[in-house]
Amino acid sequence: MAKVEPGMESMLEMYIFETNTLLEQLDEILLRTEDANVFSQEDINEIFRIMHTIKGSSAMMGFENLQHLAHKGEDMFFVIREKPEIAKDAHFVYELIFEVSDLYKAEIEYIQNTGDDDYTPTDFSETFHKLEEATEKLKAMENGEAPSASASSAPAASAPVPAAAAEEGSMTVRVFFEDGCKMENLRAFLLLTKIKDEAEVISCTPPDVESNADTAKDIIENGFLVTFKGFDGNNDAVIKTIEGAVNVESYEIIDTPAAPAEEKPAAVAQTAPAAPEEKAPVQEKAPAPAPAPAAKPEAPKAAVAKAQDDIKKANGGQKQSLISVNLSKLDTLHDIVGEIITTESMVIANPDLEGLELESFSKAARQLRKLTDELQDTVMSIRMVPLAGVFQKMGRIVRDMKIKLGKDAELVLEGETTEVDKSIVDNLNDPLMHLVRNCMDHGIEDDVNTRIAAGKPEKGTVKLSARHSAGEVIITVSDDGAGINCAKVLEKAKKNGILTKPENEYTTKEIQNMILLPGFSTNDTVTEYSGRGVGMDVVRSNIEQCGGTLNVESEEGKGSSFIIRIPLTLAIVEGMKLKVGNTIFTVPISSIKESLMVANNQLLHDTKQGEMIMIRGVCYPILRLHEKFNMPTEVTKLEDGILLLVDVGGKNVCLFADKLIGEQPVVVKPFPKYLSQYNIKAQGLSGCTVMGDGTISLIIDVNNLIS
Amino acid sequence: MSENYNDKLQELLNTQKAMEDARKDPQNTVITKVLTFFIGDQVYGIEIPEVIEIIEVPPITAVPGVPSYIKGIINVRSKIVPVVNIRSRFGKEEIPFNDRTCIIIVSTGEVSVGLIVDSVADVVPVTEQHISNTPDLTGVNSNRFIKSILEMSDGIKLVLDVSKLIDEHAAEEFK
Repeated sequence: MAKVEPGMESMLEMYIFETNTLLEQLDEILLRTEDANVFSQEDINEIFRIMHTIKGSSAMMGFENLQHLAHKGEDMFFVIREKPEIAKDAHFVYELIFEVSDLYKAEIEYIQNTGDDDYTPTDFSETFHKLEEATEKLKAMENGEAPSASASSAPAASAPVPAAAAEEGSMTVRVFFEDGCKMENLRAFLLLTKIKDEAEVISCTPPDVESNADTAKDIIENGFLVTFKGFDGNNDAVIKTIEGAVNVESYEIIDTPAAPAEEKPAAVAQTAPAAPEEKAPVQEKAPAPAPAPAAKPEAPKAAVAKAQDDIKKANGGQKQSLISVNLSKLDTLHDIVGEIITTESMVIANPDLEGLELESFSKAARQLRKLTDELQDTVMSIRMVPLAGVFQKMGRIVRDMKIKLGKDAELVLEGETTEVDKSIVDNLNDPLMHLVRNCMDHGIEDDVNTRIAAGKPEKGTVKLSARHSAGEVIITVSDDGAGINCAKVLEKAKKNGILTKPENEYTTKEIQNMILLPGFSTNDTVTEYSGRGVGMDVVRSNIEQCGGTLNVESEEGKGSSFIIRIPLTLAIVEGMKLKVGNTIFTVPISSIKESLMVANNQLLHDTKQGEMIMIRGVCYPILRLHEKFNMPTEVTKLEDGILLLVDVGGKNVCLFADKLIGEQPVVVKPFPKYLSQYNIKAQGLSGCTVMGDGTISLIIDVNNLIS
Repeated sequence: MSENYNDKLQELLNTQKAMEDARKDPQNTVITKVLTFFIGDQVYGIEIPEVIEIIEVPPITAVPGVPSYIKGIINVRSKIVPVVNIRSRFGKEEIPFNDRTCIIIVSTGEVSVGLIVDSVADVVPVTEQHISNTPDLTGVNSNRFIKSILEMSDGIKLVLDVSKLIDEHAAEEFK
């Protein structure tokens, strides 16, 4: 079966994006309300809005199963809306809605990943039943607690209820859609959904727009009749909604609310062309009507146009200032900016200009430099997104695991507004999920009494924090649980045969970092969440993929922390150029502490003839780049070259190079694919960059260089 | 005189017919074009669709930790391309670069590689009759990267299989 109707493919991406966003919002609201254990009217309305939108757009895309799922969910919340108190302590409601949300996510992923012809809609009937049962249960609870409440409650939202008697303050409107806009019935349904946000819908004709595609024809011929009564008697808002709705060509207000109820859909079809004339006098909308009574004064036709203009203006002013852009466009923009920066240095540092005194040129060049810097910052900031989105998803994991594992724990978020590059955020989701699961599963003690005995609060804490530090973002996932049992880790490592030296030579830190090795898992039994021994090394490789590092810190009995360090941006760094032989290396300025010339008397030699230098009373090892990279050079005496003191995560090393060339912002390019089979990164090179004169410079990754 | 003229006309028509017949013959259909180049005295070829461009040797930036036949990386209009010296790749001695040395950039889908060759020769059209079947020398090293052998009036040309040349697994076996 084809996934979507022909012509709708282009909408699919938008649909998936929108629905995912809505589901995230839904999860967020549910987590909040579950914590507070009460639904506020606002929350319920928001949930309704989300469900409606999903239902509507699913229907438009032709995903019937998804549409019905949302519909059933809506039914359940309909009961809750009537009496929010009944949802108090009703955990099954949350369970169900979370299940629905998960089903949605799974189905959407499925839609996204399957080919057009392989797609078969998943059967949700089991969940339908559960939802129906829950709805019944809620209804029973509602009736049991307050039998009188249901009497005044509104009829089920989507069921067409003939309004035989004209209700006070109600209004009937006939809506015509634009010619040839297609799927009029669904557009009518969407409109109906929107109206429901503003008013109580009493009836509509045809009644079954949502499920019956044949009604589209009726709607084309006779328009879509809807009778409603605005909340607080405010029908204007509804009219505005109708005016603002997509594809609505025209509408008319009919002041006989009883009329639509008498008409049967079949009858409409027969008497089609004459139908509008048979109606009672048609009312035009006044420019600024008071809360609408059933009968309204006549207003000149011209006023309608004016009113519409006013509304358009009003809508224009409120347009949101956010747009969603395809990431590939941003990537292209980013690449172009990278090219501009390279080209800029090609022009400014052009060899033809060497030795020339060009006052106005350098002035203009400085100006250009300033602008390209700004351009670069702006492009970078476009790609920056706060970590909040990823962090908040973890709330859901903690909640689910809390229930499954029977542990009491809370998730504390810190610094979630910290922004990092979008591509990094996408890569962080899985590692963080693994880490949070690990904290919940292994970290927090199984037995509450153990915690109490250790003088810790009964409720465990999993903390996610993020902060900036010198061109890096540091994300920490920590728990106040049992910590890493070094003896157990060592024993396990011995069993798995990953020890490379005698047991007693391992330091605590080394043992702790063993858990990051492939195939390591201390959990004796494989649980749903962890124990397969694939987690941690996947986490590490995921993080390394986006240029980051992962470290473990743990104190037995106090808890453990996993520290992720990732570069703020991947692409453009301020670099210092070094010459070694014929090769130009670039060292990121953020890792350089100082550069110095050396005098012979500062040098020391250790037992293995390793060179060291004493600077202000501190000893630093010297790493000769030409030896490390096996590059021939004439400068081999330390006094002739230059030393560069670099600092990585507390470790300091002096790099020896022939000479310094100068600093320049460089665009980091990855090594070509062909070379990826040779582990160049492990050599201490993170990538390469094209310099102003078109030659290539290798970028040194000080972190890997030292380790 | 008129008879003579008729004879000549007949002759001309015959030649034309012969040429047309030759063109129709599948043996003579041009199936591909091959860029030929020299490594020492031997002529090699690469099929034109796999060739991106031919450039002079720019400054090459050496990269540590790679096999010696990978000379380093070059910048081709802001694209970073690795370069392989065909001589050392085939186990021949490297010679210093001269005026005629150039780099042929080849590509198989995602991967682009520059090949350092002694000099490029020509682009020759290849017809069915030029191709002699590659002798089945499985396991013999020199045959690894050869896709087909062309027998032409001016000598034998070896057409390289670029994807095998780029694919490191083939190279491992080569060792």
